Amino acid sequence: MREMVKMVIVLVVLSSLSGGLLAGLKNKYQERIDNQILTFVKGPAIHSILKDASNDPVADRFSLSINDAEKVFFVGIIDGVPRAVAFEAFGGGYGGDLGVMVAVDVQTDEIINISVTTHNETPGIGSAVETDTDFKNQFAGKKAVGDFKVKNDGGEITAMSGATVTSKAVCSAVQRAGDMYQQVKSQIKDQVKNFTG
Amino acid sequence: MAKTIGQEFVKGLWEEIPPFRLVLGLCPTLAVTKSVENGIGMGLATTFVLVCANILVSLLSGVIPSKIRIACFIIIIATFVTVVELMMQAYAYQLFQNLGIFIPLIVVNCIVLGRSEAFASKNKVVPSFADGLGIGIGFTISLTVISAVRESLGTGKIMGNQLFGSSFEPFSFMVEAPGAFICLGLLLCVMNMVSSK
Amino acid sequence: MGDYTVLIISSILINNIVLAQYLGICPFIGTSKKMETATGMAGAVVFVMTLAAIITWTIDTYFLKTLNIEFLRTISFILVIASLVQFVEMFLKKSIPALYAGLGIFLPLITTNCAVMGVCLINIKEEYSFLQALVSSISYAVGFGLALILFAGIRERVILGRVPRPLQDTSIGLITAGMLALVFIGFKGLV
Repeated sequence: MREMVKMVIVLVVLSSLSGGLLAGLKNKYQERIDNQILTFVKGPAIHSILKDASNDPVADRFSLSINDAEKVFFVGIIDGVPRAVAFEAFGGGYGGDLGVMVAVDVQTDEIINISVTTHNETPGIGSAVETDTDFKNQFAGKKAVGDFKVKNDGGEITAMSGATVTSKAVCSAVQRAGDMYQQVKSQIKDQVKNFTG
Repeated sequence: MAKTIGQEFVKGLWEEIPPFRLVLGLCPTLAVTKSVENGIGMGLATTFVLVCANILVSLLSGVIPSKIRIACFIIIIATFVTVVELMMQAYAYQLFQNLGIFIPLIVVNCIVLGRSEAFASKNKVVPSFADGLGIGIGFTISLTVISAVRESLGTGKIMGNQLFGSSFEPFSFMVEAPGAFICLGLLLCVMNMVSSK
Repeated sequence: MGDYTVLIISSILINNIVLAQYLGICPFIGTSKKMETATGMAGAVVFVMTLAAIITWTIDTYFLKTLNIEFLRTISFILVIASLVQFVEMFLKKSIPALYAGLGIFLPLITTNCAVMGVCLINIKEEYSFLQALVSSISYAVGFGLALILFAGIRERVILGRVPRPLQDTSIGLITAGMLALVFIGFKGLV
């Protein structure tokens, strides 16, 4: 019986020490880890669509709450003016959610460019969305408002060949991004002013 | 029995060098040795866990009831593995992405559990420390050697430096799974030849 | 349905857990010298891997993720696997002695079989649904068994041949495994 009690005590003490230590470490490093994830996971997508930015958009960011969810916006300073914001939106693709990073020019409300962050599409077909710049360039220069649809659905976006579902997912992600942008446009414009070259 | 601290340390470097002499921990050995960087990273991560777990196990060996010792070892090891996981996310995110699930899998690396059970639980702190460090460094060296062979033949580069000039056609077989098995098999053979003399 | 067929084929053959994902190599080399032990190990792995994958998936989805303590994933998974193995061992010993006689000695080895833990982690990483996780873990386990039994068959023959001294045992074993992995690369075009 004494042995039993000792076993239980040792296990409980050990587990709680370990849990405590890890929770402490986690709290201490949470911010750094988030930063790293942004830099390495979202970073490449952000940098590729805000090529002209003179600052580091990953570092210059703010967050707003849209429909009770925190959304992070990355600010790009172009020609000395903080005029671009990049943010992520999702659309339902062939293999689950597809994430699209959309950069919008806050002065003209035009989309600067888009880039895919996460996807689970079929390798070789839908996955071409990563590299197909012709497809993605169709969004550049369009107003970040209203409908984005592929031609089949009566829109004006030419779908990637053989990957209609993926193309539609990108469209719906961009459309959601547009909706979000319209919803918080004034807040974005206020926030962006805080960032100067 | 009367081995000095120095001997405990050195035996990990040749006499009992894993994974050649102690045929344990083969999975990470094969999986992460596509590039020298990953190999060294994995080696160091394992060394850290090995040393910490060895120290703690030998300190606690009097307290831990023998019936549940394996469970206690596993908790200790898993704690340190999670520490490595968090630190790597915070400071070396790219390495963390490259090594993927093989970081949490250090938990089931038989080298670590094997040393806790076979050595640390029966010895004092200082020899356990030396043992852990020796085996860990030995493991790191092995990984470095294997990854150097595989990366140089498989891609023609080592840590980004071109090795063989432009006419070299990369032998990409070496960075694939079969190359990993065969490379390790041949290195093991060379090792046997050298030591049988 | 088609999705599941693809998942099954790719988990067994294309992404074979041993020969393409480098998991579970220690038992793969260690228990493949005799066909008998190989089949025993394969059976035990199928059993434990499926159970472990289901339980860890449930814990991760309903416990770790809802409480936002995903950093404890490694530690909780290994504890689940270790206690599961212990529990299965006790259960088999009591209720199905015949099966225990066959699988018994392999069960403790499974705790440190990284294939089991690996599959649990893959299921989480790929964000599989419950059914997908179940199907993939059974398929991975079958893939493990297939590779192990094939390999044991080859190895039994290799022992009969005259292998040069330095190449003997593990060394030739690894090279043979390499050949087998090469064969499995041929399945890559299937899906």
